Amino acid sequence: MLRINNLHVKIEGKQILNGLDLTVNAGEVHAIMGPNGSGKSTLSHVLAGREGYEVTDGQVLFNAENLLQLSPEQRAHKGVFLAMQYPVELPGVNNMTFIRESINAIRRARGQDEFNTLEFLQLIREKAAQLQLDEKLLKRNVNAGFSGGEKKRNEVLQMAMLEPQLAILDETDSGLDIDALRVIAQGVNSLRSAERSIILVTHYQRLLEYIQPDFVHVLVNGRIVRSGDKQLALTLEQKGYNWIIEEDAA
Amino acid sequence: MKSPVQNAQLQTPQQRQQLQREWFQQLVVGAEVDAEYDPDWLLPLREKALQSISTLPLLNRKQEAWRYNRVDNIFQNSFDPLFDNDLEQKICIEDIGLPAIDSYRLVFINGRIDLSLSELSELPAGVILTGTAEALRTIPDQLMSSFDHLHQPGEQLFTALNTALFNDGVYLHVNQSVTLDRPVEIIYLNNNLTRSEQHVGSMIQTRNIIDLESGASATVIEHFISNNKHEKYFHNNFTDINLADDSRLRHYRIQDESRLAYHLSNVQITQHRRSRYFSTCLAFGGLWSKSAVRVEFQAQQAECDLLGLYTVGDQQLTDFHLDVQHRVPSCRSSEQFKGILYGRGRAVFDGRILVDRQAQHSDAALTNDNLLLVRDAEVNTKPQLEIYADDVKCSHGTTVGRLDPEQLFYMRSRGIAEHSARKMLCQGFATDIIESFELQQLRDYASEKIAHTLNSVESEMEHKNGH
Repeated sequence: MLRINNLHVKIEGKQILNGLDLTVNAGEVHAIMGPNGSGKSTLSHVLAGREGYEVTDGQVLFNAENLLQLSPEQRAHKGVFLAMQYPVELPGVNNMTFIRESINAIRRARGQDEFNTLEFLQLIREKAAQLQLDEKLLKRNVNAGFSGGEKKRNEVLQMAMLEPQLAILDETDSGLDIDALRVIAQGVNSLRSAERSIILVTHYQRLLEYIQPDFVHVLVNGRIVRSGDKQLALTLEQKGYNWIIEEDAA
Repeated sequence: MKSPVQNAQLQTPQQRQQLQREWFQQLVVGAEVDAEYDPDWLLPLREKALQSISTLPLLNRKQEAWRYNRVDNIFQNSFDPLFDNDLEQKICIEDIGLPAIDSYRLVFINGRIDLSLSELSELPAGVILTGTAEALRTIPDQLMSSFDHLHQPGEQLFTALNTALFNDGVYLHVNQSVTLDRPVEIIYLNNNLTRSEQHVGSMIQTRNIIDLESGASATVIEHFISNNKHEKYFHNNFTDINLADDSRLRHYRIQDESRLAYHLSNVQITQHRRSRYFSTCLAFGGLWSKSAVRVEFQAQQAECDLLGLYTVGDQQLTDFHLDVQHRVPSCRSSEQFKGILYGRGRAVFDGRILVDRQAQHSDAALTNDNLLLVRDAEVNTKPQLEIYADDVKCSHGTTVGRLDPEQLFYMRSRGIAEHSARKMLCQGFATDIIESFELQQLRDYASEKIAHTLNSVESEMEHKNGH
């Protein structure tokens, strides 16, 4: 489904990704771990199409299509979703209106009928209940005055509504207490399916106790230096990242 | 009538001054005031105002009120006072695109009242709603105190012009403890004014008086509109509002005039004990518009909320001057104005709050936020707080910014096209002003106007980008 070959990315002239290779097949869950500054967020942003990143080499194929030439909205239409590390607030934009606009934009782009008000309301209420997201938050402005946990739940709610083919969760566990983490993990787990792939970008192993990955990759200096199964995450938890960095340098 | 001279920039200061003086004098000479019904006390005031037009200081950019206003451009245009209201086509008020509101209605066509289009039946007891001319004829003494405002700084010449030459306006008087059950809608429609002589527009002067006795309450909605996009005229409005103890006025002013219209409003509000003034101003149209709102608290515990939203496109100039005077203790004022600049135009916002030495426990807040959608737009925003008391709560903040790329990316990553995302963010920016309308019809009307403007902006941008 997703194939990243030799990806090189610069931000403001600084090389961040340095020949990254990654293949994600349908139905797989991949965790990408790594120390701060290793390029984890850059990878997420480049996949979602954020501006300000210069791809100097390599390619990204999504269902055999060149992902990098698509606009962020086109990527969303094709089924790419990024749950942000820092979801922004949208003052004056009602959360419900926003999500409805989003889902219908995607449906239109795919030639599907838009949801009418009733269908939409039923769906969002059901999903919000699963994520234990207070319905009041649906009526507020997007992320405005939400707590850290509420923002993350709102991200996963959007993901549940949009049913992406490829979901990238950028540090979704950061700033969550254990109860919130469990609810969010449940939400993500319920979306696992044979057609859907998930990339979990995370600094800590903690999230992986709740969402069990098929593969774990370690990102150092803009490259994946080691891949393994979930056992690798446990080793990292015990020994930290330094031993890998040292082995990689050697 | 003098035809427009060369560009203002090419003239010497002396030439510009002379042109301005002549501009005012021509209006006086060309005017016919139907003063035959004027009460005795008004005649000397008219005369005095008339005389002062040749002696009052001219407007110039060194005056605070005109600093960013390119005032000289006004005087490049000739305007003709118009009294001939022979309309060939019949106007149907339901067809001019205003929201349908169950209201008492007063309609002015080219500044003159049209009773056939107005709706004044079933007014409750204790309410007078009529034209100023009619009120001057029937109840002149009640209007006397409202003509004491020739001193408004910076606007004297236009105020004097209005006093000397106005023919009509709105007179609303609500008796003690009476609540008006329906809003009062005032529609100023300019129609069929474009003269054969291409450069001459019409001068329209209205004089409004709103008087609420103690405990009275009313909602007034003013619509300033043109019948087509090419009507050229100058509307010089002066409104005097007097709110007695415990009275409440909701005042909505919606200016959506032709792109050749000039609009000057002076709104003067005097507030007494525990009175409450709540206003929302929308300014969408007009080539040049300036609204000066001045609130004077005369007794304690009075409150005012002034809200506003302006959109400014190519060649437009929109200017708001607010002046809130805390002269007595324990009053509260808030001012919240927002602007969306979508073309090569200019917005001026000047918010002055004065807190006198004896006005302890005053609470005053002012914000002005501006969103620039294009590079060439210009905003001059200036809060002025003059605080002479020491136990007060005052705050102010102004911003000028562009749409946030982070917010746009967030929305686009959810599948929303860039132009829709921009539109949603702009509408979000305007939301709290629009939500301040108590009437759903006005909220819908304002949202639609903004959506319409933003749609045309987006399609223009796409056109420019060659999509």
